[in-house]
Amino acid sequence: MAKYMLIMRGTDEGRADYEEMDFSEVIAAMGRYNEQMMDAGVLSAGEGLADAAEGAVVDFSGETPVVSDGPYGETKELFNGFWILDVASQDEALEWAKRAPLSGPGTKLEVRRVHGPEDFPADDEWIVKEKQWRAELGTE
Amino acid sequence: MTKYMLIMRATDEGQEAFESSGLSFDDLLTMMGRYNEELIQAGVLVAAEGLDDASQGVVVDYSTEEPTVTDGPYGETKELFNGYWILDVASIDEAVAWAKKAPMSGPGIKAEIRRIPSIDEFPADNEYVRRERAWRERTGQL
Repeated sequence: MAKYMLIMRGTDEGRADYEEMDFSEVIAAMGRYNEQMMDAGVLSAGEGLADAAEGAVVDFSGETPVVSDGPYGETKELFNGFWILDVASQDEALEWAKRAPLSGPGTKLEVRRVHGPEDFPADDEWIVKEKQWRAELGTE
Repeated sequence: MTKYMLIMRATDEGQEAFESSGLSFDDLLTMMGRYNEELIQAGVLVAAEGLDDASQGVVVDYSTEEPTVTDGPYGETKELFNGYWILDVASIDEAVAWAKKAPMSGPGIKAEIRRIPSIDEFPADNEYVRRERAWRERTGQL
């Protein structure tokens, strides 16, 4: 099994469409989708993010980090939330992605593999520590 | 306490600068490990993951009737998403203070800080909100 992250991406245009939808309809559509993934035993984690306008950005380009108010860059590539699925293959992750209750211009999901222990040297001190942290945090 | 997500962002320029910086993979593991250890000891770290190269990823586009699938990377790499930390802290200022300590540097390297709404902000009598709460309780997320 491998972990894949489904990253919700949006544009200003897609967002305007979304805001016209009934909130309880949105919750029900998302709820049905989440329930399918829970029933299939593949949902590992998922979160939605608050409006980018209340966020902040830390820029590491210079000597000292510079903090500015959100949103980050152009909202054509806004990050809205994610699901992490534990599945057998990228194809399986994609099958789930295609079933997500998303629609509208510029609305996309980016599917990326999440690094696992197999990507790191098992005898590295920090990788050994990470294994312990994950056990404590419950994010193995 | 409130949850904030620290999102690692990079541009092509930053990615190249990082690759030519001479930092070994081992150096990187140590820098990230030290930072993670600080977060753990402060009791603020909830979760964190790093992502595989964007060129290995896939994008699903919902603009049309049927979702369209294309190979990654997503859009312009000026807004590449590389990984995240979720912190449980008292304020956005505290989240920003942690972000500033992250072992990251170079042109175009940024962290975006966003609040994660809690399940309590959704209507408690909604059937799906109730089910999500049950899932979060069952999986130790609450």
